[in-house]
Amino acid sequence: MLSVDQLTLSANPNSQQPLLEPLSFTLNPDQAVALVGPSGCGKTTLLRTIAGLIDPLSGCVTLHNQSPKEIGWPSFRQKVGLVPQRPVLWDTTVCENLLRPLSFSSIKHTYLPKDVQAMLAAVDLEDKLNEPATQLSEGERQRICLVRALLAKPDFMLLDEPTSALDEASIQTVESLLNKHMADTPGLGVLIVTHDRAFADRFCSRIIDLSDYLLQSQAVTDA
Amino acid sequence: MPDTAATEFVSRAVVLSGWDLALASGLVVIAGLVSLVLRLGLEKRLLLAAVRTVVQLLLLGLILRFVFEPSSHWLLALIVAVMLLAASHAGVQRSERRFPGLTFLALICLTISAMFTTVVVTGLVIGVDPWYEPRYMIPLLGMILGNGLTGISLCVDSLLASLHDSTGHIEMDLAMGATRWEAARGPLRDAVRRGMIPILNSMSVVGIVAIPGMMTGQILAGADPAQAAKYQIVVMFMIAAATSLCCILMALLIYRRLFNNRHQLRAGSIRKITS
Repeated sequence: MLSVDQLTLSANPNSQQPLLEPLSFTLNPDQAVALVGPSGCGKTTLLRTIAGLIDPLSGCVTLHNQSPKEIGWPSFRQKVGLVPQRPVLWDTTVCENLLRPLSFSSIKHTYLPKDVQAMLAAVDLEDKLNEPATQLSEGERQRICLVRALLAKPDFMLLDEPTSALDEASIQTVESLLNKHMADTPGLGVLIVTHDRAFADRFCSRIIDLSDYLLQSQAVTDA
Repeated sequence: MPDTAATEFVSRAVVLSGWDLALASGLVVIAGLVSLVLRLGLEKRLLLAAVRTVVQLLLLGLILRFVFEPSSHWLLALIVAVMLLAASHAGVQRSERRFPGLTFLALICLTISAMFTTVVVTGLVIGVDPWYEPRYMIPLLGMILGNGLTGISLCVDSLLASLHDSTGHIEMDLAMGATRWEAARGPLRDAVRRGMIPILNSMSVVGIVAIPGMMTGQILAGADPAQAAKYQIVVMFMIAAATSLCCILMALLIYRRLFNNRHQLRAGSIRKITS
């Protein structure tokens, strides 16, 4: 269980100005929850704060009732896999990008080549294994990042706009992969930031609208 | 070479008069004339640079005369402190990106690496008694700091540019479960390597492409070339050790400052300096 308790987000690292009203919610195993809201309201900041990449102004995040400090920050982040909106890949082959997390001491398992192949095949990228990652299209890069996060076998996944750079067919592919992975991985919970309300309605059992947490003084533009 | 031969070389030192210096300044006049003929517009800068060279070096010579007096410990300490402060300031000023407290970190690194290396060289290698004998300590410290600040400035510039420009990749590593050390080691390694490039290049070509300034100075002052070469070897090793120690310390201190114990990168602290 991933719990967000009275979390207050900071507008930027050097600011004490809160971005939203304090937020509390729980993400259970086997559950998919969508985070929606207007552009600039703090959806990405919320995911980065939950992943522990930035500090909240107040409140806390716990995983299975343990704080990240108790678990150890690297292990916590390995269990809460973040996939950012803009795909981040290194200037090496797709294969090397997928295997990168194995060099980290917090990763205790290894991947089998058949797992990698199967996962790539599920997103129609099985022929890209040895291609330079930087030469892929934005949509392909986004799918590679998703596969890399899934291979790390997290307990929960934080997906930031996973379908933003994808066409309709690729959205279906990603949705199928996520559905299949959730079915094959008991306990996996997913928190998704999305503008795609239809995707959120189809895939998620619960939708949290951050519009409900906007501060009175806040002026945001709808996307 | 026997000691008697070395002494013989020392006696060949030519004492320079004011007239000799005036004659040498004619060489700068030639450079000025070339600039004038080719309309390079460098005459004024050349004149100013030449005047500064004369004033600064004559002043240095006068100050060092006082410092080399056996009883001027306080003056020695003051000069060492000024040298360290100036070097740490200059080392950081050359970097395009900085964060608050960077000069202080440079001061710590330069002080530790320069003092350690100087003490080892004067006290153990050359065997001067006391180890802080100004005639040895000041020139050696100057050479160490001159090279150390170049190393530091390259190291800092590379590391901060890398941490700033690769924030996305470093945070991706952290998000995938990397420790701060695992996420930072690539940029750290590259920065230390960058800081070491000048001294490694110098060591590779020394004596083939160029005769180092210190060795040239010793030979001109009448020293035995073989002895001057030995001194130069010591100096090269000393500079290499000090520069590497300085770059490694600086990279580690920056790492400790910009990565907190929650394994987060505080890239927001890095500011680009626009001049």
